[in-house]
Amino acid sequence: MWRVLLCFALVVMGCLAGVPPCAAGDAPAWMHALVSAPLPAHDEKTDAVLLYSERIVTVQSADKFKITVREAYKILRPGGREYGTVTVSYNSHSKITGLRGWCIPAQGKDYEVKDKEAVEISLPKVDGSELVSDVKDKLLRIPAADVGNIVGYEYEKELQPFVLQDVWRFQEANPVREAHYTLQLPAGWEYKATWMNYPEVKPAQSGNQSQWIVSDIKGIKHEDSMPPWQGVAGQMIVSFFPSGGSAQNQGFQNWKQMGIWYQGLTSGRRDASPELKQKAASLTASASTPAAKMKALGEFAQRDIRYVAIELGIGGWQPHPAAEVFAHHYGDCKDKATLMGAMLHEIGIDSYYVVINSERGSVTPETPAHMGGFDHVIVAIKLPDGVSEGSLVATAAHPKLGKILFFDPTDELTPFGQLSGALQANYGLLVTPDGGELIALPELPPAMNGIQRTAKLNLSATGTLSGEVQETRVGDRAWSQRWALRTVTKDTDRIKPIETLLSHSLATFQITKASVGNLQLTDQPFLYNYSVVAQNYAKPAGNLLLVRPRFVGNKSSDLLETKEPRKYPVEFDGPSRDSDSFEITLPAGYEVDDLPPPVNADYSFASYHSKTEVNGNTLKYTRTFEVKELSVPLSKVEDLKKLYRIIASDERNTAVLKPAAH
Amino acid sequence: MSYRRLFLLALLLAVLGAVRPTHPVSAGDEWQPISQEELKMASEPKAPGAPAVYLYRQVDRDDNTHTPHEYNYARIKILTEEGRKYADVEIPFFKEEGDIHGIKARTIRPDGSIVNFEGKAFDKTIVKAKGVKFLAKTFTLPDVQVGSIIEYHYTYDLHEGYVYNSRWILSEELFTKRGKFSLKPNSDFALRWSWPAGLPAGTAAPKDEGGYVRLESQNIPAFQIEDYMPAQNELKFRVDFVYSDGIPEKEPDKFWKKEGKKLNDRVESFTGKRKAMEEAVAEIVAPSDTPEVKLGKIYAKVQKLRNTSWEAEKTEQEQKREKQKEINNVEDLWKRGYGDGRQINWLFLALARAAGFEAYSVYISSRSEYFFKPQIMNAFELNGDVVLVKLNGKDTYCDPATAFAPFGLLSWPETGVMGLRLDKEGGSWVTTTLPPSSDSRIERKADLKLTETGALEGKLTVTFSGLEALWRRIEERNEDATNRKKFLEDQVKEYIPVGIDVDLANQPDWGSSTPTLVAEFDLKVPGWVSGAGRRALVPVGLFSAPEKHAFEHAGRVHPIYFSYPSTKIDDVTIDLPLGWQVSSLPPVQGLDAKAALYSLKAEDNKGTLHVTRRLNMDLLMLDQKLYPTLRNFFQVVRTGDEQQIVLQPGASAASR
Repeated sequence: MWRVLLCFALVVMGCLAGVPPCAAGDAPAWMHALVSAPLPAHDEKTDAVLLYSERIVTVQSADKFKITVREAYKILRPGGREYGTVTVSYNSHSKITGLRGWCIPAQGKDYEVKDKEAVEISLPKVDGSELVSDVKDKLLRIPAADVGNIVGYEYEKELQPFVLQDVWRFQEANPVREAHYTLQLPAGWEYKATWMNYPEVKPAQSGNQSQWIVSDIKGIKHEDSMPPWQGVAGQMIVSFFPSGGSAQNQGFQNWKQMGIWYQGLTSGRRDASPELKQKAASLTASASTPAAKMKALGEFAQRDIRYVAIELGIGGWQPHPAAEVFAHHYGDCKDKATLMGAMLHEIGIDSYYVVINSERGSVTPETPAHMGGFDHVIVAIKLPDGVSEGSLVATAAHPKLGKILFFDPTDELTPFGQLSGALQANYGLLVTPDGGELIALPELPPAMNGIQRTAKLNLSATGTLSGEVQETRVGDRAWSQRWALRTVTKDTDRIKPIETLLSHSLATFQITKASVGNLQLTDQPFLYNYSVVAQNYAKPAGNLLLVRPRFVGNKSSDLLETKEPRKYPVEFDGPSRDSDSFEITLPAGYEVDDLPPPVNADYSFASYHSKTEVNGNTLKYTRTFEVKELSVPLSKVEDLKKLYRIIASDERNTAVLKPAAH
Repeated sequence: MSYRRLFLLALLLAVLGAVRPTHPVSAGDEWQPISQEELKMASEPKAPGAPAVYLYRQVDRDDNTHTPHEYNYARIKILTEEGRKYADVEIPFFKEEGDIHGIKARTIRPDGSIVNFEGKAFDKTIVKAKGVKFLAKTFTLPDVQVGSIIEYHYTYDLHEGYVYNSRWILSEELFTKRGKFSLKPNSDFALRWSWPAGLPAGTAAPKDEGGYVRLESQNIPAFQIEDYMPAQNELKFRVDFVYSDGIPEKEPDKFWKKEGKKLNDRVESFTGKRKAMEEAVAEIVAPSDTPEVKLGKIYAKVQKLRNTSWEAEKTEQEQKREKQKEINNVEDLWKRGYGDGRQINWLFLALARAAGFEAYSVYISSRSEYFFKPQIMNAFELNGDVVLVKLNGKDTYCDPATAFAPFGLLSWPETGVMGLRLDKEGGSWVTTTLPPSSDSRIERKADLKLTETGALEGKLTVTFSGLEALWRRIEERNEDATNRKKFLEDQVKEYIPVGIDVDLANQPDWGSSTPTLVAEFDLKVPGWVSGAGRRALVPVGLFSAPEKHAFEHAGRVHPIYFSYPSTKIDDVTIDLPLGWQVSSLPPVQGLDAKAALYSLKAEDNKGTLHVTRRLNMDLLMLDQKLYPTLRNFFQVVRTGDEQQIVLQPGASAASR
């Protein structure tokens, strides 16, 4: 949708016929100085290189920053033409001035475009995104953004900061020749700079001005299943501290300070209205244990409160009051966490905000305290003494709070007591009255996320295979199916996920019966039961019959079958354990002549075991695939590739049947 | 009447208009009564599994006033948790056209109690540029649960005198139980209306009743999107309204004669430079050339001219700097050497005529957007043009404005479509050529060796012909060699159902209009051979991946639509390692379903396997009722492709 909108905006830009162009001017000297600059190292697939970037941050007061940005790209390939469209974001607390763009063509005169030719856009309604936000973009199209040309732009942004921090993101998808960051502070102010994913560079100091320069930065090329951008890209996070430390919104020295800031932001927001108190009481009235009461409240927050994000200004961080969320029955993640906290309080249970990133790896123990690392809010519930239900597994022991349970009220398909894979082994800011601390979330056992498939099938002498299949899914594997079926718009489409699964393994099939179990009961395993007939499953070869013991399901992947060597670790969604057990009754008159060998592949990060056996007239195939570690480092990526090939080979292996000896 | 003229008239009316009156909301502020049945409803039998349904929709437009306006009313029943998203409402509009007023909304709980929307509808700027403001009113309803009914109404107030063609979209994302639509036409213009995709079952045609066009409909199915479906526009139930000057022509023949004459005048006015064209032809052809050669030379010359329609869109500054002059006729174009696509075709028309050919301009309707029906009488749908030349008594359709199109080949949306062949009488209907499947081929020839580790290694040559070559050249026209290489290698990866190493080994001819595009590759397919104890198995469907998931679902709503008929021909030879023996070959596979044909044959030529495969699809559109037959055909294809050759490895390999 965003792409469609962008296209529309570009069309609008193209359609502004009759609007007199600005007087063309020469590109500024800083751009002309780049014309003969050597390019940073790059390969033939590089679309463009960032020749120069500059970010000048002038802190005028605790309420006013002025940021000047200059950037210039050399376009090397057709894909680099997109750098001719400048996008600058702003909101109701910031103002963009002096936006100008230039092109220095390889031949001919320079082009110049100015602010008044920019198009302003904001995000239309998109499922899962903010319904209302004050964030807008200015788009400026630079003429002649063609291969061989240099395009550049500059602008100034004035903003009222929510906190006294800035992030310099100097590494990007393209190689960078040279990037500058200049910080101008008022007298007496101090700063703290922390480098992420890049060796620290010392600034040149001149009075209250500090300047950092980095050069020849490699581009980050996207790889599937790579760590999140924030976890790999070079950046510098700077916090500013006014003299005397009097400002409310000062930068953070540590997580504790950020927790105090968030605590202030949410102060009073969890106060319950009489109606909310009444609701909490009625929801928990019939629950006999604290765990059951918490679960009832959790399910209410997950299911009855519709996800709607209305984020204006600080509203991107500050939740709406619980009473308001309850009255409207809608809210975003922090609103739901607020409501949950308020209701838990009503039954005498303490809970705390956990500010987190929905992509594991974005925030690590090395990350300094800053706002930019997070995009989600969940709840940590202090479990009352004596609560030890086995279903509450997403727990961790906190030195002061004791046992705490993590719960995501926004994720309505993950049952109370569990966490989605993306949040497991993730790091979040726990906000308590004492301030904040970065804590590790638990990693659940692999068995809590998986698919268990069993099939009892009959093979006819003509090669037709038929029988019953049962599929039991838990954890994220259940989540994905529930999500897929949730968005199905008619009953007849509920069978489609099974059809898609089977089509990956069977040339011909008919599903003769199918049912879905526990679709709504998220605390129960999700079930598929279906009957299938697959004609020509076994292939004749002379007087032999070829049968693939692995009936359905693919565990292999071509993720690492790429020409270019892998540059980043492989991240799994979460720990998992899948198992298959397929029994095929052989046709009368046939016996097994040859079986595929068993497979036993064990690595630290994952294991795969399969075997095919014959018991009387039954061919039995069993296998398990377990992901044990969530990240495969580069040093082990070749092992993972090998493992995927072993699995692929096993999945294609065949048993040979021959006419039985009389 | 053109849109521009209508707009000018609208402006004039705006100037003449007095102080803008505040008109009442046409249907009043009242809400429609709610029945117990609606409150209790838990599902809709005619839309089983639907997340929500429209219980009622109403659109009332009044164009016959200085302040045209459109009243919209929606009542939606929420049936599942997913359906609650319909409580988020966004009403987009162009500020230059009008504004949204009088938004009222409410939630009715399942017990009948009501929560009025008392919040603020946010003003969202979706796109704002000079002279363009595309805005939206956005709001969300409170306390929405499964079982709730949400409803809202608002009025779209158009600017004074702003009259334009409108439409009622009946097919929405949600099932509609009842819909009611009306339009009060502007009396200064003639109005014609049509329903090109038909009307929902049981719906009476829209009628003019006392100065209002009205339609009521019930049980309108939700619109569904599927693979291989025709343009959505052609499947959605809708009513299109077109304003025009004077008395509207009711007879299609007369309508098109009139339109044809107008179009012909435009063509003749541009092409009427006979002398200049004769001089130009003399530069292109030799008197001794045969007609085929003459026409081919003219085509090639014209196609090489700069076609501005194919160039990346330029900013206004770039356009000004380039100082392109307006092209008013074929002589201008010939002299300056550039023109847009339509002008290029008209130059070809003029040169062909000057060379003595009988030639016509043909206005066609692209089937990627429309399934043209003359009886609808919508001239806007004639959105493309080609040239018809009589060559040795045979109709030959040409479109030199399509980059890389060989002589006599049209781009696929222009093939097999109705067109208006223009002449001074207005013209007559023709149908453009649809190339048979044998003209649009993908031929894959692989010479491979099987290694003792079960991998295939060797050379692959892929030859794309006809429309298969044309669309690839068009798609990659603005890319560089690196991207084109990746494009072709990715295509091979899509053909083979396992991970492969593939490297483009030649430099394909991307820039010409030759009928074929040839790509050569070094190919390695690790682990193609699978194990079966002492034996090794070679699947025969090396290039079978595209068919693996085709039509995997049993259900189908819409007709199945293919862009053009096409053929795939595979010829694979595999040299076996020394000492390996063929134990058995699969039987010959085949199915001739007339419009679709599949065959596969594996042979053993003394230690070399030879597999040939052919898949012809001579289909364009298939009725949804025949979907099971098509699905069955592809199941046969997949079964055939999964056959395996049984090998007995040599002693050393077997031991491994």
